[in-house]
Amino acid sequence: MKHVFWMSVFAALTAVVFGIAAKGTDRQRLIYGLKVFGEFLGIALLLGWILYFIPFR
Amino acid sequence: MVARRIEKEQKIETPRAAWLIGLAAWAIPGAGHFIQRRWLRGALAGGAVWIMFLTGLWLGGHLYAVSGGQQGLGALLQLLPMIANVGSGLLYVFCWIANIGFAEHAQILTYEYGNTFLLVAGLLNYLVTLDAFDIAAGRKR
Repeated sequence: MKHVFWMSVFAALTAVVFGIAAKGTDRQRLIYGLKVFGEFLGIALLLGWILYFIPFR
Repeated sequence: MVARRIEKEQKIETPRAAWLIGLAAWAIPGAGHFIQRRWLRGALAGGAVWIMFLTGLWLGGHLYAVSGGQQGLGALLQLLPMIANVGSGLLYVFCWIANIGFAEHAQILTYEYGNTFLLVAGLLNYLVTLDAFDIAAGRKR
Protein backbone atom coordinates (compact mmCIF):
# COMPACT_ATOMS: atom_id res chain seq x y z
CA MET A 1 0.00 0.00 0.00
CA LYS A 2 2.95 2.26 0.65
CA HIS A 3 3.89 2.14 -3.03
CA VAL A 4 0.36 2.95 -4.17
CA PHE A 5 0.25 5.85 -1.72
CA TRP A 6 3.51 7.42 -2.93
CA MET A 7 2.53 6.79 -6.53
CA SER A 8 -0.75 8.63 -5.89
CA VAL A 9 1.08 11.55 -4.24
CA PHE A 10 3.44 11.73 -7.21
CA ALA A 11 0.54 11.59 -9.70
CA ALA A 12 -1.41 14.27 -7.81
CA LEU A 13 1.49 16.75 -7.58
CA THR A 14 2.48 16.22 -11.21
CA ALA A 15 -1.13 16.58 -12.35
CA VAL A 16 -1.45 19.90 -10.47
CA VAL A 17 1.54 21.38 -12.31
CA PHE A 18 0.46 19.94 -15.67
CA GLY A 19 -3.00 21.39 -15.16
CA ILE A 20 -1.59 24.82 -14.32
CA ALA A 21 0.82 24.86 -17.27
CA ALA A 22 -1.88 23.79 -19.73
CA LYS A 23 -3.71 26.25 -21.95
CA GLY A 24 -7.44 26.90 -21.89
CA THR A 25 -10.09 28.00 -19.45
CA ASP A 26 -9.92 27.14 -15.73
CA ARG A 27 -12.49 24.40 -16.25
CA GLN A 28 -10.58 22.87 -19.17
CA ARG A 29 -7.36 22.90 -17.17
CA LEU A 30 -9.05 21.31 -14.17
CA ILE A 31 -10.41 18.54 -16.36
CA TYR A 32 -6.97 18.09 -17.95
CA GLY A 33 -5.32 17.84 -14.52
CA LEU A 34 -7.84 15.24 -13.36
CA LYS A 35 -7.32 13.33 -16.60
CA VAL A 36 -3.55 13.32 -16.12
CA PHE A 37 -3.99 12.09 -12.53
CA GLY A 38 -6.32 9.31 -13.65
CA GLU A 39 -4.03 8.31 -16.50
CA PHE A 40 -1.00 8.12 -14.20
CA LEU A 41 -2.82 5.82 -11.79
CA GLY A 42 -4.58 3.78 -14.46
CA ILE A 43 -1.44 3.10 -16.50
CA ALA A 44 0.62 2.31 -13.38
CA LEU A 45 -1.99 -0.18 -12.15
CA LEU A 46 -2.28 -1.74 -15.60
CA LEU A 47 1.51 -2.12 -15.90
CA GLY A 48 1.61 -3.49 -12.35
CA TRP A 49 -0.85 -6.25 -13.23
CA ILE A 50 0.94 -7.05 -16.50
CA LEU A 51 4.26 -7.36 -14.64
CA TYR A 52 2.57 -9.49 -11.97
CA PHE A 53 1.88 -12.25 -14.49
CA ILE A 54 5.35 -12.16 -16.08
CA PRO A 55 7.63 -14.66 -14.34
CA PHE A 56 10.95 -12.89 -13.82
CA ARG A 57 12.59 -15.70 -11.83
CA MET B 1 0.09 35.11 -45.24
CA VAL B 2 1.79 32.64 -42.88
CA ALA B 3 5.17 34.26 -43.60
CA ARG B 4 3.71 37.68 -42.78
CA ARG B 5 2.26 36.34 -39.54
CA ILE B 6 5.60 34.77 -38.54
CA GLU B 7 7.39 38.04 -39.38
CA LYS B 8 4.89 39.96 -37.24
CA GLU B 9 5.33 37.54 -34.32
CA GLN B 10 9.11 37.79 -34.55
CA LYS B 11 8.93 41.56 -34.17
CA ILE B 12 7.21 41.28 -30.78
CA GLU B 13 9.98 41.76 -28.27
CA THR B 14 10.01 39.97 -24.96
CA PRO B 15 9.91 42.49 -22.10
CA ARG B 16 13.04 42.56 -19.95
CA ALA B 17 10.92 42.00 -16.84
CA ALA B 18 9.82 38.64 -18.24
CA TRP B 19 13.41 37.36 -18.07
CA LEU B 20 13.75 38.54 -14.48
CA ILE B 21 10.43 36.94 -13.58
CA GLY B 22 11.62 33.74 -15.25
CA LEU B 23 14.79 33.84 -13.16
CA ALA B 24 12.80 34.42 -9.96
CA ALA B 25 10.43 31.60 -10.88
CA TRP B 26 13.36 29.22 -11.31
CA ALA B 27 15.11 30.38 -8.12
CA ILE B 28 12.10 30.13 -5.81
CA PRO B 29 9.33 27.82 -7.04
CA GLY B 30 6.09 29.80 -7.25
CA ALA B 31 7.75 33.23 -6.98
CA GLY B 32 7.27 34.00 -10.69
CA HIS B 33 3.51 33.73 -10.33
CA PHE B 34 3.41 35.57 -7.01
CA ILE B 35 5.27 38.55 -8.52
CA GLN B 36 2.55 38.73 -11.18
CA ARG B 37 -0.16 38.47 -8.52
CA ARG B 38 -1.27 35.03 -9.67
CA TRP B 39 -1.72 33.90 -6.11
CA LEU B 40 -3.63 30.67 -6.62
CA ARG B 41 -1.48 29.49 -9.53
CA GLY B 42 1.69 30.33 -7.62
CA ALA B 43 0.52 28.59 -4.48
CA LEU B 44 -0.55 25.45 -6.34
CA ALA B 45 2.39 25.15 -8.72
CA GLY B 46 5.06 26.35 -6.29
CA GLY B 47 3.52 24.32 -3.48
CA ALA B 48 3.56 21.17 -5.61
CA VAL B 49 7.26 21.64 -6.43
CA TRP B 50 8.19 22.43 -2.80
CA ILE B 51 6.23 19.45 -1.46
CA MET B 52 7.72 17.16 -4.08
CA PHE B 53 11.28 18.30 -3.36
CA LEU B 54 10.98 18.06 0.43
CA THR B 55 9.18 14.72 0.22
CA GLY B 56 11.95 13.45 -2.04
CA LEU B 57 14.56 14.35 0.56
CA TRP B 58 12.44 12.87 3.34
CA LEU B 59 12.03 9.59 1.43
CA GLY B 60 15.81 9.25 1.30
CA GLY B 61 16.41 10.29 -2.29
CA HIS B 62 19.67 11.89 -3.28
CA LEU B 63 20.64 14.85 -5.41
CA TYR B 64 23.09 14.52 -8.29
CA ALA B 65 26.20 16.59 -8.83
CA VAL B 66 29.09 16.27 -11.25
CA SER B 67 32.25 16.06 -9.21
CA GLY B 68 35.80 16.44 -10.45
CA GLY B 69 36.55 12.76 -9.91
CA GLN B 70 34.21 11.65 -12.70
CA GLN B 71 35.16 11.72 -16.35
CA GLY B 72 33.73 10.63 -19.67
CA LEU B 73 30.54 8.58 -19.57
CA GLY B 74 30.44 8.59 -15.78
CA ALA B 75 30.27 12.37 -15.73
CA LEU B 76 27.64 12.38 -18.49
CA LEU B 77 25.47 9.93 -16.57
CA GLN B 78 25.58 12.30 -13.59
CA LEU B 79 25.07 15.42 -15.71
CA LEU B 80 21.59 14.64 -17.03
CA PRO B 81 19.97 13.97 -13.63
CA MET B 82 21.90 16.93 -12.25
CA ILE B 83 20.26 19.19 -14.86
CA ALA B 84 16.89 17.88 -13.67
CA ASN B 85 17.82 18.51 -10.00
CA VAL B 86 19.11 22.03 -10.73
CA GLY B 87 15.60 22.89 -11.92
CA SER B 88 14.61 23.17 -8.26
CA GLY B 89 16.53 26.45 -8.15
CA LEU B 90 17.78 27.75 -4.83
CA LEU B 91 16.48 24.64 -3.06
CA TYR B 92 19.22 22.71 -4.89
CA VAL B 93 21.81 25.44 -4.28
CA PHE B 94 20.98 25.51 -0.57
CA CYS B 95 21.29 21.70 -0.32
CA TRP B 96 24.58 21.88 -2.23
CA ILE B 97 26.03 24.51 0.12
CA ALA B 98 24.75 22.74 3.24
CA ASN B 99 25.66 19.30 1.80
CA ILE B 100 22.17 17.96 2.36
CA GLY B 101 20.81 15.11 0.26
CA PHE B 102 23.93 14.28 -1.73
CA ALA B 103 24.66 11.04 0.12
CA GLU B 104 23.16 7.83 -1.25
CA HIS B 105 20.91 5.76 1.02
CA ALA B 106 20.14 2.82 -1.25
CA GLN B 107 19.23 0.62 1.73
CA ILE B 108 16.10 2.71 2.41
CA LEU B 109 12.96 1.14 0.93
CA THR B 110 11.71 4.44 -0.50
CA TYR B 111 15.10 5.51 -1.89
CA GLU B 112 14.05 5.20 -5.55
CA TYR B 113 10.83 7.06 -4.84
CA GLY B 114 12.86 9.83 -3.25
CA ASN B 115 15.14 10.05 -6.27
CA THR B 116 12.18 10.22 -8.63
CA PHE B 117 10.49 12.90 -6.53
CA LEU B 118 13.65 15.03 -6.50
CA LEU B 119 14.24 14.67 -10.23
CA VAL B 120 10.65 15.41 -11.17
CA ALA B 121 10.44 18.36 -8.74
CA GLY B 122 13.21 20.04 -10.75
CA LEU B 123 11.65 19.19 -14.09
CA LEU B 124 8.24 20.45 -12.97
CA ASN B 125 9.81 23.70 -11.82
CA TYR B 126 11.20 24.21 -15.33
CA LEU B 127 7.60 23.91 -16.53
CA VAL B 128 6.37 26.35 -13.86
CA THR B 129 9.19 28.75 -14.83
CA LEU B 130 8.17 28.64 -18.49
CA ASP B 131 4.55 29.24 -17.51
CA ALA B 132 5.50 32.31 -15.45
CA PHE B 133 7.72 33.56 -18.28
CA ASP B 134 4.94 33.14 -20.87
CA ILE B 135 2.50 35.06 -18.68
CA ALA B 136 5.04 37.87 -18.20
CA ALA B 137 5.76 37.97 -21.93
CA GLY B 138 2.04 38.22 -22.69
CA ARG B 139 1.88 34.90 -24.51
CA LYS B 140 -0.45 33.38 -21.98
CA ARG B 141 -3.18 34.62 -19.66
